Amino acid sequence: MRILQSSGIPIYQQIADQLREDIVQGRLKAGEELPSIRGLAKELKISVITTMKAYEQLQSEGYVTAMQGKGFYVNAQDTDMIREQNVRKVEAALANAITAAGYAGMQEEELIDTLRMLIRLKKTD
Amino acid sequence: MENNYTYAIEAKNLVKKYKGFELNIPDFEIPKGFTTALIGENGAGKTTLLNMLAGLKLDYKGNIRFFDTNDAADETVKERIGYTGPGCYFLPQWTIRQVGEISELLFDGFDKTRYEEICGELGITKEKLGGKGKKVSDLSDGNRMKLMIAGVLARETQLLIMDEPASPLDPLMRDELCNRIRAYIEQGNGDKTVLCSTHNIADMENVTDYAIIMEHGKIVEEGFVEDLKEKYILIKGDVQDADKIQEYLYDCNKSSYGFEGMILSENLDKLAGTDISTETPTLSQISVAVMRANTDLKLKR
Repeated sequence: MRILQSSGIPIYQQIADQLREDIVQGRLKAGEELPSIRGLAKELKISVITTMKAYEQLQSEGYVTAMQGKGFYVNAQDTDMIREQNVRKVEAALANAITAAGYAGMQEEELIDTLRMLIRLKKTD
Repeated sequence: MENNYTYAIEAKNLVKKYKGFELNIPDFEIPKGFTTALIGENGAGKTTLLNMLAGLKLDYKGNIRFFDTNDAADETVKERIGYTGPGCYFLPQWTIRQVGEISELLFDGFDKTRYEEICGELGITKEKLGGKGKKVSDLSDGNRMKLMIAGVLARETQLLIMDEPASPLDPLMRDELCNRIRAYIEQGNGDKTVLCSTHNIADMENVTDYAIIMEHGKIVEEGFVEDLKEKYILIKGDVQDADKIQEYLYDCNKSSYGFEGMILSENLDKLAGTDISTETPTLSQISVAVMRANTDLKLKR
């Protein structure tokens, strides 16, 4: 996990984003325990309350559950929800691409051709 | 923020009067398992308060309770508290080795081997500087503070009360102090608490969970840092908007080019339609704004 002190994104948000990513990508599996709040704070050299806020955010989003007096555990993931989130990511990335294409003066056909080419390249990887 | 925490210290109706100064705190609580920073101007009453809590000052009114114990006279409570202060409480002619030997006699939970280890890690007992035979009186202010830190960390405690621990330390050691505090808090897994006063807010920002800001012997603001960062918003704008926005600002600094100020989040919608940028403030920025709003000093804006 990497934390940027002056990225403009609050530190608790960066932690929540990276753990969410780990959960969605399956690197953290259902039932697994998250690092202890104070242990993670020590490792990342940040305050306990910041780590706690990140975990509470993940809890409110339904990714993890707090077990009283024990710690935070990863919930079984709703696959539809994960798909929905990934679709939203694709849309956001494509929207960025469309904006950049506008700056570059690319026409719709050229943009779609580029996308097709990139898909073919990925397949042959 | 998180609601399921208890208190390491709870105090009621604390009053202490000096000539021209009164400390008056109706309610005082320190969350258990966290690091709390006590912030305020010189003379705000931080040291007075810490001395009362550490048992160095006893002629005050009010009740102080530690660790949910009902019996204030419980002697085991003192064994569980470590204190470091700006003055040195070791005798000047003692050597570093003797400080360890004496602490072992004074405190049940003192680990002399651990103490000497920490002294070594913090670089106080370098052989070329005289090793463990060096006298307390020959130590620099920074090394004397490190010695006191080593002394409390080598004890089995549940609460550390530290008065300005960072001030005499160099930047490397301030970072190390923060690491040691985080390690202490982690080791306690919710049962160990740190309370320290500091002017070095920026250095201690990433270790502070709860902040208490004092002025004129009173608490003027307190809260978990993440909550304070939502309560206050830093705004910046052009100079022509400063006057019409000023009445909503908690704190404002104007220059020839623009203004910068702090606003309570609840008032942000009153600025609708003006061209401003907003930013999440740091704890230092919040502290300075709160201190400026409450100070007697006539500072130029």
